[in-house]
Amino acid sequence: MATGNGTLQGKVAIITGGGTGLGKMTALLMAKEGADIVVAARRVGAIEQTAKEVRDIGPRALAIPTDVTDPAQVNNLVKRTLAEMGGLDILVNNAGIVRGQERRPLWEVTDEDWRIGIDTNLSGAFYCCRAAIKHFVDQGHGKIINVASGNGVRGARGDFMYGTAKAGLINFTRVLATTFAQENIQVNCIAPGFINVFNLQPEPSTRERPGTSPFIPVGRFGVPEDIGHLALFLASDASNYITGVLFANDGGGLAGGIAPTGYAPVIAMEED
Amino acid sequence: MVAKDFNLGGKIALVAGDSKYWSKYAGAALAEAGADVAITARNTKRLEETAEEVRRQGQKILAISTDTTDAAQVQKMVDQVVTEFGRIDILVNANELLLAKPFLETTEAEWRRVLDTNLNSAFNCCQAVGRQMLKQERGRIINLISCLAERGVENFSAYCAAMGGVLQLTRALNIEWARHGITVNAIGTGWMSETDQTGAPQEELLLKYIPLKRYGHPGEVGSLLVYLASDTTDFLTGQFLYVDGAAMSHL
Ligand SMILES: NC(=O)c1ccc[n+]([C@@H]2O[C@H](COP(=O)([O-])OP(=O)(O)OC[C@H]3O[C@@H](n4cnc5c(N)ncnc54)[C@H](OP(=O)(O)O)[C@@H]3O)[C@@H](O)[C@H]2O)c1
Repeated sequence: MATGNGTLQGKVAIITGGGTGLGKMTALLMAKEGADIVVAARRVGAIEQTAKEVRDIGPRALAIPTDVTDPAQVNNLVKRTLAEMGGLDILVNNAGIVRGQERRPLWEVTDEDWRIGIDTNLSGAFYCCRAAIKHFVDQGHGKIINVASGNGVRGARGDFMYGTAKAGLINFTRVLATTFAQENIQVNCIAPGFINVFNLQPEPSTRERPGTSPFIPVGRFGVPEDIGHLALFLASDASNYITGVLFANDGGGLAGGIAPTGYAPVIAMEED
Repeated sequence: MVAKDFNLGGKIALVAGDSKYWSKYAGAALAEAGADVAITARNTKRLEETAEEVRRQGQKILAISTDTTDAAQVQKMVDQVVTEFGRIDILVNANELLLAKPFLETTEAEWRRVLDTNLNSAFNCCQAVGRQMLKQERGRIINLISCLAERGVENFSAYCAAMGGVLQLTRALNIEWARHGITVNAIGTGWMSETDQTGAPQEELLLKYIPLKRYGHPGEVGSLLVYLASDTTDFLTGQFLYVDGAAMSHL
């Protein structure tokens, strides 16, 4: 049985990239509040596993293999969701990838690297929104949650495609929110800081990060629940007047960032 | 109702604001989510009425008449809350004094009062409550301010300056207290009203402009307050989050 307060009872959510990491945690937390979940990503084993864990919690779940960079597959994802789940209320555009930009000079970035970076992190969300939003308009409600990154707000050294695409996703959020405000469709964006997703990965990952960080103001990396709970809040009807907003959840980094963490001079006031 | 994980059962909240508006709505939202709440305001009679309304949520409510622009009164009030409730988990700064007039007509006295109520009150409350939260190594500070902290509007110079001050206080305190388990965030409210504003000529102009074509109701801020106050937001700090029906999104 779902063990929450049932705030998402009767709702259907698509979560792209829901087989691992933040997307998987989001799926499980939404399921606890009663939502039926559609998990969409490329690796079948991972999305099947999330779907199974959702069913163990209680709600219905469907794993639909999808590459979000392919509009036909995305259209099929929405079509199958409507047909097999009987509705769609929440879309979480969480699929994302950092690839092909590891400390490379700009002149070594290939056309293909650029294309994959922009397609996965920006166009994928566009394809999903385009496929879902007509249905949201027709039914008179809908929630879209885009997962961007702090890299889309500030420039990270050598981060060409990912940060640029995520910045696009942040403003795409605002454009959608403004355009569909009167249709009762809320569109918001989450910018996670450094979140340790290692423990959730089905197979060992090279992305393991230690639990503490001297650079993040709060002194540690985030955990997937930090993002999952925020997505849960934004998916519920309690947040219906909130739209077009960027929610950075990053341990305080973006509020500073002009001096390194730990820089704390003391300067006495001098009256003349 | 909010999701179960956002429950505030057993938590102590202090809402420093005006009794007419924010103390009522913020207090009621936190109490509905399970927190015991202390509310303050200057106007004693109205404060009691507001306390009665908040009490209907079934939690313990303490109403303390306080002029939050006075640091000594704030310290006394905070001491009283700690004596009664034992701790303070959540501080909501919601002191608001509106003023709209051309800059050159704004008197020095008005400028000072607007900064005193909107900005200096937050300073006083953050200091007195912050000391307590630092002892606890845990706390949530939520500054309930306006989107005018970040945007300019004609005739709002003093108000914008004060709100911008609270926003920057939010960011600076976040950095200073991040290692001590205290999160500091600000909520920016858009155009809010308890009543339907259709008809008034200036308001018609505004309503046409905002994406949702309607004002927000102060009650719509409650769910974000509760979420930010909950145990699920340890990593979410230093942010300015709008409840504004997309007003800040559009060109
Ligand atoms: N963790 C962090 O510190 C952090 C920080 C900032 C932003 N983010 C963002 O948060 C989101 C989730 O990331 P994560 O940390 O949870 O990492 P993750 O475990 O690698 O999750 C990314 C997911 O996206 C899916 N995906 C990638 N390309 C796809 C495609 N073409 N079609 C469909 N699905 C695709 C992957 O599944 P398949 O490979 O099976 O398709 C994977 O499940 C991403 O958008 C990421 O950019 C994370």
